Amino acid sequence: MTDKSAETEQLAKVWENPGGWRTLSDVNNSVVGLWYFAAAFAFMLFGGALALIIRMQLFVPESTLVTSEFYSQVFTLHGTVMMFLFAVPIFEAVAILILPGMLGARDLPFPRLSAFGFWCYLIGGVFVCGSIFFNSAPDAGWFMYPPLSTEQSGIGADIWLLGLSFIEVASIAAAVELIVGVLKCRAPGMHINLTPLYGWYVLVVGGMILFAFPPLIAGDILFELERLLDWPFFDVTRGGDPILWQHLFWIFGHPEVYIIFLPAIALLAMIVPTFAQREITGYSWIVLSALGTGFLSFGLWVHHMFTTGLPSVSLGFFSAASEAVAIPTGIQIFAFIATVMLGTVVRSVPMLFCLGALAIFIIGGLTGVMVAVAPFDFQVHDSYFIVAHLHYTLIGGMLFPVMAGVYYYYPLVMGKQLSRKLGIWAFWLMMIGFNTAFLPMHLTGMLGMPRRVYTYGAERGWTELNMISSVGAFIFAAGFLLLVWDCVRPKKDQPQVKRNVWNAGTLEWAARFGDSWGMRSIPRINSRYPLWDDKDLLRKIDEGEGLLADAKEGRRETLVTSVLDAQPIQVLRVGGPGWLPMIAAIGLGMVFIFMTFKWWLLTALGGVVFLVAVLRWLWTGTAEIPEKQTKDIGGGERLPLYVSGYKSTGWWAMFITMTGDLTAFLALLFGYFFFWTIHPNFPPEGVDGPGWFWPMVAGLLVLLTWGLTLGARIINGKGQSGMAQLLLGASLVATIASGFALAAGPWTTGLDPTTNSYPAIVWCLVLWVLGHLIAGFIMQAYGLARLVYRKATPTHDADLWNIALYWHFTAFSGVLTALVIGGFPYLT
Amino acid sequence: MSEQDHVTKEVRRETGSGTDLWSVIISPTIWALHFLACYVAAAIYCEKLGRDAPLGDIRTLVIVVTVLALGGIFWSSIRLWRVHDRSLTDDDFEYEHNTPEERHRFLSHVALMLCVLSAVAVIYVTIPMLYLETCR
Repeated sequence: MTDKSAETEQLAKVWENPGGWRTLSDVNNSVVGLWYFAAAFAFMLFGGALALIIRMQLFVPESTLVTSEFYSQVFTLHGTVMMFLFAVPIFEAVAILILPGMLGARDLPFPRLSAFGFWCYLIGGVFVCGSIFFNSAPDAGWFMYPPLSTEQSGIGADIWLLGLSFIEVASIAAAVELIVGVLKCRAPGMHINLTPLYGWYVLVVGGMILFAFPPLIAGDILFELERLLDWPFFDVTRGGDPILWQHLFWIFGHPEVYIIFLPAIALLAMIVPTFAQREITGYSWIVLSALGTGFLSFGLWVHHMFTTGLPSVSLGFFSAASEAVAIPTGIQIFAFIATVMLGTVVRSVPMLFCLGALAIFIIGGLTGVMVAVAPFDFQVHDSYFIVAHLHYTLIGGMLFPVMAGVYYYYPLVMGKQLSRKLGIWAFWLMMIGFNTAFLPMHLTGMLGMPRRVYTYGAERGWTELNMISSVGAFIFAAGFLLLVWDCVRPKKDQPQVKRNVWNAGTLEWAARFGDSWGMRSIPRINSRYPLWDDKDLLRKIDEGEGLLADAKEGRRETLVTSVLDAQPIQVLRVGGPGWLPMIAAIGLGMVFIFMTFKWWLLTALGGVVFLVAVLRWLWTGTAEIPEKQTKDIGGGERLPLYVSGYKSTGWWAMFITMTGDLTAFLALLFGYFFFWTIHPNFPPEGVDGPGWFWPMVAGLLVLLTWGLTLGARIINGKGQSGMAQLLLGASLVATIASGFALAAGPWTTGLDPTTNSYPAIVWCLVLWVLGHLIAGFIMQAYGLARLVYRKATPTHDADLWNIALYWHFTAFSGVLTALVIGGFPYLT
Repeated sequence: MSEQDHVTKEVRRETGSGTDLWSVIISPTIWALHFLACYVAAAIYCEKLGRDAPLGDIRTLVIVVTVLALGGIFWSSIRLWRVHDRSLTDDDFEYEHNTPEERHRFLSHVALMLCVLSAVAVIYVTIPMLYLETCR
């Protein structure tokens, strides 16, 4: 028995959270997740305060409470904060907080990446929100349509663009982390059909982020190039088109709605079974509807653009897809209702919020089906009807489920119970307040009130409805404040809750409050609700009878298992506390923030800080060669401590990141062909393309450097490390040469990007590839250094695998760019 | 099916290489490609030929693409049906046993239902093309 208590001590020591001011260097999911959550909540309160300013202004007609300019800043920031700083990050926060426990992992595979993402998010969020105190907040609406935003906005538009691009980095980081987490870090035996539904939803949403956010990043790049350097992507007088922005924004924007909705509804999928005290009904149906919604949500974006004058056949396609998405969305709702009906419901506050969520969301869904019909949409476009619709979907589909989640998971995370009485009060205030505020808006919209107007005339007949809405908004806010108070009020006198306080069936409830290591030992899983089905499970976990019950080597470790059947394949050493993620985020933050003010020297300094921090982080903390090859995890199994290639989590992280990166490239390429589609002559008359010669040379050189890099990986694998070093050295030269060759095309033919959208988009594609060549160059040099310093060897070659993988993608975009800019003009 | 085939199939399933996540997303991916093809083709056609152009040619193209897409989904369904069809454990819709066999049944059920959803969505998307006359 002493053995076991020694093990417990080791674990506690290894996973101990740093104290004092060093707390900020923590990377453990339970701490970072909590920070993330608190930050998202704080931003939401800020966004809510802005909403109240809106409602006060609209309380009476011809109000002079705020000016038109300030009002524009307020509604823009309200939308921006709620969407980018609350709705998406809260998903990341909750997932980082509870997902590892649910899957039976000690931590997520890349804890430092989570911390990096959090700091990016916090810095970017504070920057964007702070702008309103200097009267320089973005003011062109949360979707920033040009030409208003490109030609009339002040610095606010730049703050919006750069601040949010920075936060998008955090989202993609979270997506990488969570996808790999769900696929590779489930407890042994947790087959894909036994994975908690929350995990499935996270997987789907992570995948969606990879295809939805990059088009916005591409759009941001075009937008900022226009604002900063006057490249006319959206300027009609020089061959640009504002509609391109709308496409790129909504290719992101519509899936985003589902990126927000799915993880919140996923909380319902965890909460409803617990309070119905039975397993979820139709598990496989919910999985398929999550997947189906994920896919179909990418075919809806034009329904935000029904009034832009696209051909009616295009509208037809998108209208049809918008109706089709109601099918999978409906299936999951029915599955939840069926679970409630078949179970014995325990009355509780989380359940109250779940039912409220369903009721509100269904109303929003029904108006959604209405506005998916193009002719109806023509009538209510940009009116308060849309405002009502989107708030019903987002508040029913996201806010209420998240509040249910707060009540449900508070005891798990904080060890205390929230007050039932206050909870019921908060719920009814929010429910009544919300409906009082937003139900009348359907009518206000039908009566013709457009969204985003700062005031209205008394003769319009909108006064009473607006008054009711404003009163409702304040009741809603009161409910909210009650909830916040309940969360933060001192609870010293309250007893600590007992373990698994709701009698839930899923694994996260096996955790004991205060243990930062997750679980004492990792159990084998045999069912979907292990805590219900295996009464002996908690004892086995606590007494260290599961796997990986020790931390003899003094390292933080978690199990990696196979994707489908969760067979253990590796012991993964994860990062411990450290400052580098935070320093890297600060460096990157400096780049984005100082660029807004065009302080180039400081921007460059930020870039250097970021680069040095990241390189140091990689050099000291990744792909470390372990002191022994395998480790005994208990139960007679030994697993490797080091794997490379597609067996490793790092390779998957690179693969996922580059998939997102490729999507952004394809979005830029879409820009090129978009301009070709709308212009009768493209390239325009009198403008020569970059010629075929230099692009061809560049394409061949890119292929060469790719081949050298891949060759280095293969030859090193065969034991010839010296030869591999030679190849990598040669690849560095080839990379530089390919960069120059690529730029030579548009440079030697004198393409001026400020004259027309054609040279601008050609240069933009070239810049994109150049940026990737530079990053690829750094990676090749890094790989070379790893080989030289014996940090990578023929048997420990994860670095080289990942670098080669990066180059597969970069070679593809490089060659495609060369073909398009060099070859396409000859085809037309 | 010969005895030999039977045995290979059994072994393949036991070792866990039958239905995987990729085959689950085949049918929605077909939907996505179909959707993209229809939208891009129609958008370019209408932009280049003007709003008065009749949809004749493009309608034929969309119908051809639709037939191809439905064919692809049908092929995927047949494949999945064969996995789903034979159960070594039981025939319920719970899929809650912890065996690779059950995982195959589960994934093939999800995939099969996604085939149905994708087919419906493909047909939905095609309908506007059938009754619109011009690019207006």
